[in-house]
Amino acid sequence: MIYSYLPFIILLLGACAYFIGSAKAVAVSGGSGGIRSLHSLPSHYGALTALCCVLPALMVYALWQIAEPMVLTSMIKKGLPAAMLQLSANEFSLVLNDIRNAVAGNSLSGSGDTVILAAAQRYMALQATAGKIASAVILVMMIAAVLIMYSRIHIHLRARNIVEGLIRISIILCSAVAIFTTIGIVLSVLFEAIRFFKIIPLQDFLLGLDWSPQTAIRTDQVGSSGAFGAVPIFVGTILIALIAMVVAIPIGLLSAIYLSEYAHPRFREIAKPLLEILAGIPTVVYGFFAALTVAPFIRDIGTSLHLEVSSESALAAGLVMGVMIIPFVSSLSEDVLHAVPQSLRDGSLALGATQYETVKNVVVPAALPGIVGGILLAVSRAIGETMIVVMAAGLSANLTFNPLKTVTTVTVQIVTLLVGDQEFDSPKTLAAFALGLILFFFTLCLNIIAIRVVQKYREQYE
Amino acid sequence: MNVKSLFLASALTMTLVSTGTAMAARDAISIVGSSTVYPFSTAVAEQFGKTSNFKTPKIESTGTGGGFKLFCGGVGVSFPDISNASRAIKDSEKETCTANGVKDIVEVKIGYDGIVLANAKTAAPMKLTRKEIYLALAKEVPDAAHAGKFIANPYKTWKDINPELPATAIEVLGPPPTSGTRDAFVEMVMVAGAEKFDFIKAMSKSDKNAFKAATETLREDGAYIEAGENDNLIVQKLQANPKAFGIFGFSFLDQNADVVQGAVIEGEVPTFEAISAGKYPVSRPLFFYVKKAHIDVIPGIKEFTAEFTSEKAWGPEGYLADKGMIPMPDAERKQVAADVASLKTM
Amino acid sequence: MATENKQTMKPFSVHMNKDLQRRYRAEKRFQRCGIAAIAIALSFLALLFASIIGSGYTAFRQTFIELDVHFSEDLFKDENLAAADYAGLIKQALRTAFPEVKERRALKSLYMLVSPGAAFSLQDMVKEDSRLIGSRQKIWVPANDDVDMLIKGQMKATEAEADRRLKDDQLGWIGQLEKDGKLETRFNTTFFTSGDSREPELAGIWGAVKGSFYSLLITLLLSFPIGVAAAVYLEEFAPKNFWTDIIEVNINNLAAVPSIIFGLLGLAIFINFWGLPRSTPLVGGLVLTLMTLPVIIIAGRASLKSVPPSIREAALGIGASKMQMVTHHVLPLAMPGMLTGAIIGMARALGDTAPLLMIGMVAFIVDIPGGFTDSATALPVQIYLWADSSERAFTEKTSAAIMVLLAFLICMNAAAVIMRKKFETKW
Repeated sequence: MIYSYLPFIILLLGACAYFIGSAKAVAVSGGSGGIRSLHSLPSHYGALTALCCVLPALMVYALWQIAEPMVLTSMIKKGLPAAMLQLSANEFSLVLNDIRNAVAGNSLSGSGDTVILAAAQRYMALQATAGKIASAVILVMMIAAVLIMYSRIHIHLRARNIVEGLIRISIILCSAVAIFTTIGIVLSVLFEAIRFFKIIPLQDFLLGLDWSPQTAIRTDQVGSSGAFGAVPIFVGTILIALIAMVVAIPIGLLSAIYLSEYAHPRFREIAKPLLEILAGIPTVVYGFFAALTVAPFIRDIGTSLHLEVSSESALAAGLVMGVMIIPFVSSLSEDVLHAVPQSLRDGSLALGATQYETVKNVVVPAALPGIVGGILLAVSRAIGETMIVVMAAGLSANLTFNPLKTVTTVTVQIVTLLVGDQEFDSPKTLAAFALGLILFFFTLCLNIIAIRVVQKYREQYE
Repeated sequence: MNVKSLFLASALTMTLVSTGTAMAARDAISIVGSSTVYPFSTAVAEQFGKTSNFKTPKIESTGTGGGFKLFCGGVGVSFPDISNASRAIKDSEKETCTANGVKDIVEVKIGYDGIVLANAKTAAPMKLTRKEIYLALAKEVPDAAHAGKFIANPYKTWKDINPELPATAIEVLGPPPTSGTRDAFVEMVMVAGAEKFDFIKAMSKSDKNAFKAATETLREDGAYIEAGENDNLIVQKLQANPKAFGIFGFSFLDQNADVVQGAVIEGEVPTFEAISAGKYPVSRPLFFYVKKAHIDVIPGIKEFTAEFTSEKAWGPEGYLADKGMIPMPDAERKQVAADVASLKTM
Repeated sequence: MATENKQTMKPFSVHMNKDLQRRYRAEKRFQRCGIAAIAIALSFLALLFASIIGSGYTAFRQTFIELDVHFSEDLFKDENLAAADYAGLIKQALRTAFPEVKERRALKSLYMLVSPGAAFSLQDMVKEDSRLIGSRQKIWVPANDDVDMLIKGQMKATEAEADRRLKDDQLGWIGQLEKDGKLETRFNTTFFTSGDSREPELAGIWGAVKGSFYSLLITLLLSFPIGVAAAVYLEEFAPKNFWTDIIEVNINNLAAVPSIIFGLLGLAIFINFWGLPRSTPLVGGLVLTLMTLPVIIIAGRASLKSVPPSIREAALGIGASKMQMVTHHVLPLAMPGMLTGAIIGMARALGDTAPLLMIGMVAFIVDIPGGFTDSATALPVQIYLWADSSERAFTEKTSAAIMVLLAFLICMNAAAVIMRKKFETKW
């Protein structure tokens, strides 16, 4: 079966093409200037040959992979009884599934219909032939491409420009992935959110002070008493994120500065990855830790100080979340601090500044954009975290800035609304999409502000 | 370096994507739905996978609503064959199903799940009535001074409700409003407790909305704490806080009987026997739904339902009872099993 | 120092000395703060590790019971070896071990001592070696999870009988087995070799490990090259204009999107639109890629920014093209930071459950996945599911699974450290 190895063969041929191309380039440059008479480096010619040979082949291969089942299905359709052909597309997919099961030799549901088995036989035969044809086409194409390129290579061919152009297009496409993701997210959330806002007016949702989807258990009660006011949830989110940042920013930033500026390199090598582990511990663990260790501890302290502390508090969740996001601040900041040119430090120290003053006045401002980037990532993670909040801060939406009360966050609500037992077209479920959309715009604003801040305070050295 | 690695990565990516698009046949049953039925469904699936020649079904825990959304998406390989539910399918869901071509559905009731109110073993056991629970947890309760009027729930301790109860603060950890357990708890405890007041009962006929608001809204001042759906966590929180009560499924009480105890409700201790005899008032039926159009096409569905409805699985001595599911009475089991065997649709 | 010198300089030097001392104190204080910060963070790490290991290390051992099994020929009359009554074999063996137990209920609780999986292990043994039929063998089979919990001391025998999973007569049998040396704990290989199960003593993580491996492989292969390429484009090539700003805000924003939303996106695009199979590592990997990308891009841009412009100018000055300048000089220098971003992103992908919920990977899957398109779960999902199981024995399994996850994490971090060390330069 040459077809199943085709991707590897394509790769292998591509590698050969690279060597053929660069060898030819060296060969044509045999004139007076030697290799220097070439417009580009031999490796550029090699890469160009390889790309010309591999890219079209891969495209054809991918197309064939997608098209094959469709083509083959329509071919075996002809042999099936008329009754089967009258089925709807989805029902027909069940018949096809039976056929494919027969092809794969899996255990069958029914008695093993002769029609199905015959169809399976034909499917296999067709598949084998089709595979051979596709392989042949692709191989011929690749060899042809190599031959054409081989004849085209001469000293004036601007191979570098073409290759770099191709790379440039590909990296532009890579950055476009992020845009497409955003569009996808907005689209996948928008329609359901619009349906929600048809039931609950936007201003009620954005400005309502009372979030309790419980009053809308039955459809005949929808929208009574503004139970979908999202303000308490936003406040809860901000409160918990704030507590988390109060923990994470000082600890993270100080760790980063110590590791980068003071610590012995060996200590740094060990401590930094250890800190990074904090970010990877599953959130369930943090959740249990927050709910069963930190929360009772805070409650005990609170009661001894005669404060009213609920057993589920924003403080417990925020503190533990802060610990979790320390690496986002520390690791990323450390990298950028480390990358600040040594000459800046030397200059500052030579002027008589202490190391602390150097850090404060020179190194940190120079590294500010990176540090802000790391902090932003940390805030993002804090806003997006669910498990810790569910386990330690509860799900009750209280409109309060008191960290000793229970609060809830946007993402927690999204998750519980989406995986609950209620009907999927009730406003409860739709509210999840609306929350998602709002959160999206909320963080968007946050980021725009951050960018402005960075642009304003950034110190560009050299 | 970059050129080569870019080239390599793109090629590998192509390989991966291409293997993905090659459509494979589905030969395992796909089940979605309620997280309450999940532990029972998985036990049957495992037994089924090990004792038959079929593959072990794949069971997703998506919540009842999410399960129906997928289930009612249509007929075809990419849609699940069975949906678990901790409540009966609703009419709107049935309509969606029909609109998407899912016309014949077999409903299988499999047993009951008890819901308990429990506290830590280190605290004293409680004897409660549903009326007392209603008074403790409702957002607005009947005003003791003015008959027929509601006031915001004034009760801080259990003693305020009934002088015989201890003077500890009311603190109950329970599921959020999105949960089916919460729906069932509200329906069977709160509504039933509220109807002990005659004027509220009268409201159920005269003013349905007000009745629902009065009976189904739980208080939000911190006495009722919405904890997540992780029942293990609630059990552990109760151990850490002996004053608190928790609301969760019977199977968790069964497994943790050495650390938590169920409150006696209406004079009935939540035991396996009391729930299955129908004496303990708080239990709800569990279901699963089978797409009839898939039965002859996806291998093993018939055999799986047969395994689920066999005595060794759902009988009083069966392995599902060991997992904490409360079996139905003998006659009902026989009836359902017969209906399932003949694939009687809804 | 000469005294007269000090006297003449007094006002200034006192001032300066005071100032200097203050500055040095600030320096010391700052340094101590740094050490304290690291100490706090590391002590949290140690605390978490201690609590995980403390509650999970017992899961690596499993209680076994020795049974004297008689594979009598009349049970295997049927040609099909799988159809024989293996559970019956186990029951018979238990009856011979405790001949005094006769009553039906008592027999049932006696059978409960042995895991329901014991029958399957007998089945496997016979399948492997049919010569066993007719022989008498001493076989160690896994005990039920309740017995296991008792032996490990996680269930107290001192509670009132009604509150115990194991009743008095069962405790008596267990005691007798222990006395006869027919009960011992062994290394739990099942935990590392099998897939999920509803019986804690049969549950393993291998299926989840493979699922995670396949998903993360796809994530790494896609997100690292794409992320680096995007970072390079945005930082080095893109014109600084309104559109670039939009892209930048956009990417920062994507990093803040809660992961379950990526699950919704994956459901809409990869499953409903592209028609990729549900619950597979392929879809999981793609969703995690989208989730990881912003982290890698942001970290990548930050580290590209930190490469001094002089490097670029030097490269361009000696005639390199812009692309060569980037690939030969800037990128290698920025690599350590990019790797850090990739590791943090991958660690997040390794530990996240929420996006997998929507694409069907939070599921009960017993069969071990063999490729990118087989149904699979992932490690964090397994942890999540076990943490929510009612059986007491799953608690230690949860912690043990977390330990395995952490082991992978540490390996990933170690790999990053080695790579970082290889690339790192300070100038």
